[in-house]
Amino acid sequence: MESDYGVPTAPIVTARFADYVQRDTRSHGMSLRYSFPPYPVGWVSRETLHGYVEGIDPISGVPLMEEIISALTEPLTEAEKNYKPEKRPERPRLLEPDTEANLHRLFLEKGWTDGLPIVLPTEERVAEMLTGTDRAPDEYVGMMSITTHEERLKYTVEKVAVIAVMAGCRPEHFPVILALGASGRPAIPSSTTSWGSMMVVNGPIRNEIGMNSGLGALSPINYANSVIGRAWTLMSINLGDLRPGATLTASTGNTANYNNMCCAENEENSVWEPFHVRKGYKKEENTVSLFRGWNVLSFNTGPAQRMLEVAKSLAGPFGISLTFVIDPLVAKSLNTEGYDDPMKFSEWLVKNLEIRFKIPHMVNLVVVGGEMNPMWVTTDYVHFQTVEIDPWIPRAGIKKDARPLRMPEAVVCKDGSCGIQQ
Amino acid sequence: MAGNNSKITVLDPGGQPSGIFGRRLNVDSPMFAIHDPVNQPRDTAEALSALKMAPRLDSLEGKTVYLVNTGFAGSKEFMEEAQDWFTKNHPEIKTVLRNKQTSMFTDEPELWKDIKENGDAVIFGVGG
Repeated sequence: MESDYGVPTAPIVTARFADYVQRDTRSHGMSLRYSFPPYPVGWVSRETLHGYVEGIDPISGVPLMEEIISALTEPLTEAEKNYKPEKRPERPRLLEPDTEANLHRLFLEKGWTDGLPIVLPTEERVAEMLTGTDRAPDEYVGMMSITTHEERLKYTVEKVAVIAVMAGCRPEHFPVILALGASGRPAIPSSTTSWGSMMVVNGPIRNEIGMNSGLGALSPINYANSVIGRAWTLMSINLGDLRPGATLTASTGNTANYNNMCCAENEENSVWEPFHVRKGYKKEENTVSLFRGWNVLSFNTGPAQRMLEVAKSLAGPFGISLTFVIDPLVAKSLNTEGYDDPMKFSEWLVKNLEIRFKIPHMVNLVVVGGEMNPMWVTTDYVHFQTVEIDPWIPRAGIKKDARPLRMPEAVVCKDGSCGIQQ
Repeated sequence: MAGNNSKITVLDPGGQPSGIFGRRLNVDSPMFAIHDPVNQPRDTAEALSALKMAPRLDSLEGKTVYLVNTGFAGSKEFMEEAQDWFTKNHPEIKTVLRNKQTSMFTDEPELWKDIKENGDAVIFGVGG
């Protein structure tokens, strides 16, 4: 309104966000005149709000409404008329040399990690990671911000390799990490509502790099799932400019942010086309699909009618986004019920929900699990994007170690002898 | 790897400043799209530096001030209280209360046009 329409504007933001919006103002080349009532404004009594309006701005100490009137009537200062946005300096490629212990401390104290130990990104390790792609180290990959408004940070193949090393990845994982970087999407978008994310890999690369799509695919029992999911988090921290309180505003936080529910789809045991094929890709293509939401209800069982009941409990008045993570046995059960295409199920589900906008594409099914029982996980996650991995894979194929690192696979035993011996 | 007391060199993990900021979304963008870097318009630092604040009014007396509820929880009730405050303390100022129709994140050019044509100033709230 100020710049495009020439209308004097007085924005009101709760005092909890005073620093946040003033920094935003500096970033946007215009120093808006904010006023700040106490917080929170949501879910408080009318009497409380009345008191806020009649009271003072706790930041400035000035009566709130008088301050708002002044914001609209006090002449602009020279600084307000000629505001110059600050430019951040370029960061050096290398940090000052130091001991391993000091560097681990530095990474923690700077907030460059997820709080867990990392692998220090030495030049040697980063160079090795770069063997996982044919792309030049200085090639631009993308840019990212966990916020909707602050400056996006740009990054190269080498910078993504630094992140992959820190997460504990091997070169075989690097094409997936680069695909995540190319998406430009942070795993931890900033919101007081504490978003969670999920990433699901499809295509032959799942098995080549040892990802788990079967039993316990969402559990911490698989090397590839763990480090790839973690890399997306470290990417969001370092390339998405995550700074608690400054850019990250998640009020409670979200434990899904540690690993982002990283898994692969169980294409082999699914009765349906793989998820990425349903989104327009070929079965032999490698992709990573990205999802985002808040709620994960982990234990559910039962047929389609039961899935509808749970969906009703999550639906708002306007619409719904749902991604069911279902065991292959559930897919078989739904197939038996007549849903030979997941979209048929999505259409049936939204048709039977009392919502204003009935959008079947907002209901997705991903087949993951080890067929121990017909269980399913309900999420309110929306599918945002599917990213191609293949452009990042070397022409000679995925760069695998002579003896790739693999954790124990799930025991499959038909005679009852498995698991008796340690 | 070097010994415990040996110094090693590692790479900086941070991204580089781009001078590119997210700014606004189209009116028909879905609410989630605010976090969508593909569909978000982008402004350079140079374009942002060209933004200008509007000249202020000498007084609000006889003027029309729009109160816009942006849609955050409690905002509607807060703006109603603010409107009551104006009625009680400054009856010479006309206020018009409007609610954003889509979400707090999206652009609403029709509302902005209405304010431009029929109002003199606008109060947005309550962010948070």
